[in-house]
Amino acid sequence: MASLTLRNVRKRYEAAEVIHGVDLDIEDGEFVVFVGPSGCGKSTLLRMIAGLEEISDGSISIGETEVNEVAASKRGVAMVFQTYALYPHMTVYKNMAFGLKQAKTPADEIDRRVRAAADILQITDYLDRSPRHLSGGQRQRVAIGRAIVRDPKVFLFDEPLSNLDAALRVQTRLEIARLHERLKTTMIYVTHDQVEAMTLADKIVVLRDGVIEQVGSPIALYEKPQNAFVAQFIGSPKMNFFAASDLSKKASKILKTDLTDDMQIGLRPEHMQVCKAADAVVTGTLELVENLGEVALVHLITDTGASFIAKTEKPPKEAKGEAISFTILPELAHYFDKTSGHRIES
Amino acid sequence: MNNRAIARLLQTPAVLLLLVWMLVPLGLTLYFSFLRYVLNSLRKPEWTVPQLSNWRGFGNYEYVLYKSKDFWFAIQNSLFIVGSILVITVVLGLAIAVLVNRSFPGRGIVRVLLISPFFVMPAVNAVLWINMILDPVLGLNGLAVEGINHMVAGLKDFPLLGHFFSLWPELEPISFRATQTSAYAVIMMVAWQWTPFAVLIFMTSLQSEDQQQKEAALLDGASAWSQFIYLTIPHLARPIAIVVMIQSIFHLSLYAEIEIVSRGNGNKNLPYLIGEFTSNNIGAASATGIFAVILANIVAIFLLRMVGKNLVD
Repeated sequence: MASLTLRNVRKRYEAAEVIHGVDLDIEDGEFVVFVGPSGCGKSTLLRMIAGLEEISDGSISIGETEVNEVAASKRGVAMVFQTYALYPHMTVYKNMAFGLKQAKTPADEIDRRVRAAADILQITDYLDRSPRHLSGGQRQRVAIGRAIVRDPKVFLFDEPLSNLDAALRVQTRLEIARLHERLKTTMIYVTHDQVEAMTLADKIVVLRDGVIEQVGSPIALYEKPQNAFVAQFIGSPKMNFFAASDLSKKASKILKTDLTDDMQIGLRPEHMQVCKAADAVVTGTLELVENLGEVALVHLITDTGASFIAKTEKPPKEAKGEAISFTILPELAHYFDKTSGHRIES
Repeated sequence: MNNRAIARLLQTPAVLLLLVWMLVPLGLTLYFSFLRYVLNSLRKPEWTVPQLSNWRGFGNYEYVLYKSKDFWFAIQNSLFIVGSILVITVVLGLAIAVLVNRSFPGRGIVRVLLISPFFVMPAVNAVLWINMILDPVLGLNGLAVEGINHMVAGLKDFPLLGHFFSLWPELEPISFRATQTSAYAVIMMVAWQWTPFAVLIFMTSLQSEDQQQKEAALLDGASAWSQFIYLTIPHLARPIAIVVMIQSIFHLSLYAEIEIVSRGNGNKNLPYLIGEFTSNNIGAASATGIFAVILANIVAIFLLRMVGKNLVD
């Protein structure tokens, strides 16, 4: 177990810089999720922590020791790969024992640790099978087991669920959460799926183009996104953005804010409430309804041409082409600077 | 007629042709192996014609097995040559394939150069090696040994240390056409020619190796050697089996190299022995041919088991 400190970490490939000076503190036992669109550098950052990529500039410390020049195997980290990366010619048992064997651990100690890990993950029955005879979910567990037996200071997960089907993904997500509860080890988890990030994380790190956009608890990111990018990235369906001109004339009064033209107004679909035309913050023409049963996603477009989505409990009675008005509680509206994208506190 | 019957009918000529192609030579060989049949005999002119009245039973087989001195030697030597070539080409092939699998400037050219020995004709290969490289006087072999001797002779005059060099024995170049060494010459030249084949097969297979597995092994603390032994070699098991099988088939029938290096002096295999018998004693040649078929089948069964096991996995 250990804390982790990143100071001005940079990564350059020849001329191109892909990580532009990341500063981050991860506390002992924290579950941190790196999230961002593909190509944002989240996997590169994880691989730099693991020791699979060199650090071009800055420093990474695990506990008190700087690990820039420490070999991957000596950093006390274990990684679970997206493709599982199990050794195909070894049984599950040998896969899990491989790292310990390389470290010349005594055989009885290896056996004890492998069986303990197998017990936690409920894979004791498969120990003698070879990975190709396992299902995707079972392989994933073996990969996690291989990480556990090494008793690492930090666990690294590189999009571990993206090769699983939807049902299994939810189940494995729960198991990883339970595992963290049980081991209380520092974990860093990379994903592009904001649902995984929201459900698993103690702390989310949102990355874009090699820069940290915001760090905070899932709920802080949802309630107080620091910029338009984070606001759109966290939450599903994503936040609607309006210019002041898209909203009704009464909007300023209802939202208790002076709306200006250099402002973007962000309203989350799940916060929008149907209302009378007279009380509307925004009015749109109905384009399409996606009825999910528990909720309906209503796609609309304003007269000014801004399309938006509202999440309602029941599908609207209005027909396609008819207008629907929405209002919102003033404290649930978000404001961002149009050019910089920074949050404007109302 | 239904479709199946038509399909069968259309296949028939091809199947028949293949059958005739195989069965006629095999049948004739079998038939001749039971006859007294020589190409040239002044004493018994009737033996020069293959006919049933010359029936000899298993006489030719007995002659080959017990009277001709070269048969057992040829079998032993066949297996020795094939086995040595296999070990050398697989080990060298693995080493070179792993080496050129890294990226470095000029890799494309190096790869083409590596493959090129495979395009040399076997007879040309043998002539080049035995005359230009292995020849004890004019070849690289002779020149190198002469050069070393010359250098050592020069160093004998060196003050103080000169005494040490005067204890140095004078080296003699090895004659690779000699009885004791001709097999080694053949092994060397064939291994040189076939290593590229192994490299080519291993190289393509190495490119499909999962890099994340290697990274996982790196995190598990595996050294480069451990990664090679536990990940790369098992990954290459199938291509290795294929290289071994194809080369065994080809090298059991080596001929040109043996002929050119020493004309069979100290170095025969079954095809070469058959060739020698064919100069007169067709009966004995045919009997040897049947033995060769049996040997090839034994080897084939072992190989198919090995490869088959690998392919099933």
